[in-house]
Amino acid sequence: MIERAGIPTAGITIVRKYTEKIKPPRSVFLRWPFGHPLGEPFMIEQQRAVLTEVFKALYSVTMPGDIIDSGFGWRREKYDRYSISGVKEELDLQP
Amino acid sequence: MIEPARLKNRFIARILGKFPFLEKIFTSLYYPEESEGVPWTPVKKPLKESKIAIVTTAGVHHRDQTPFDMTDPDGDPSYRILDVRKPIGDFVITHDYYDHTDADRDLNIVFPVDRLREFEEASIIGRLADTHYGFMGHVAGRHIDTLVRKKAPEVAGMLKSDGVDAVLLTPA
Repeated sequence: MIERAGIPTAGITIVRKYTEKIKPPRSVFLRWPFGHPLGEPFMIEQQRAVLTEVFKALYSVTMPGDIIDSGFGWRREKYDRYSISGVKEELDLQP
Repeated sequence: MIEPARLKNRFIARILGKFPFLEKIFTSLYYPEESEGVPWTPVKKPLKESKIAIVTTAGVHHRDQTPFDMTDPDGDPSYRILDVRKPIGDFVITHDYYDHTDADRDLNIVFPVDRLREFEEASIIGRLADTHYGFMGHVAGRHIDTLVRKKAPEVAGMLKSDGVDAVLLTPA
């Protein structure tokens, strides 16, 4: 509905097979527990990492319905590089 | 006093949250309605010039708003208007179908308003909208039609009127 109103969207998915059925235009898949689409409480870099991937998907997906696998390994991942200065250049995104 | 059906749903959500392998079994039992086609609007502006809003299905609302209906087995297709000029402590979650203990501690894991505010301050995004929208993700049966034909188009229209350039969708 939002896309039909002329606004692009990008989302997070925890359950890939639901997303394959519902078919939102751009999604980032995280193999993470329910209730944690942006990670763990107060893990600021982890939350920023997810937002970074979602915004990148917003600009990079050209095939409607694409699901990008973030590959993030929950607690096994190191998120140190996702400081504000670390993501600023990566998120200088153009249509 | 909370109804037994709500206690059962909360108990199931808590157990699923603790044992990820059970989540897989649970999700394999439920099949969402298949959508026809994929809606698509191309991005038009650079991110640093874009006004961003969040639409969440994690059951977020303001304390003084009517909570989502947790007694109807078909869920609740309504939405709440979320004003992020209010402090983050003014938001609560009503959603019995997932364990939101962690999101109650830090709302940003389902509604990342503090992170997007940082992005705005760093000029990574153009602007964080003042108004965002909260749904409760459990919508089934007769409520699907209400969501698709009435509630979702209402929200889309308000986002458009507000001049939002892109929307971030966050689930539970």
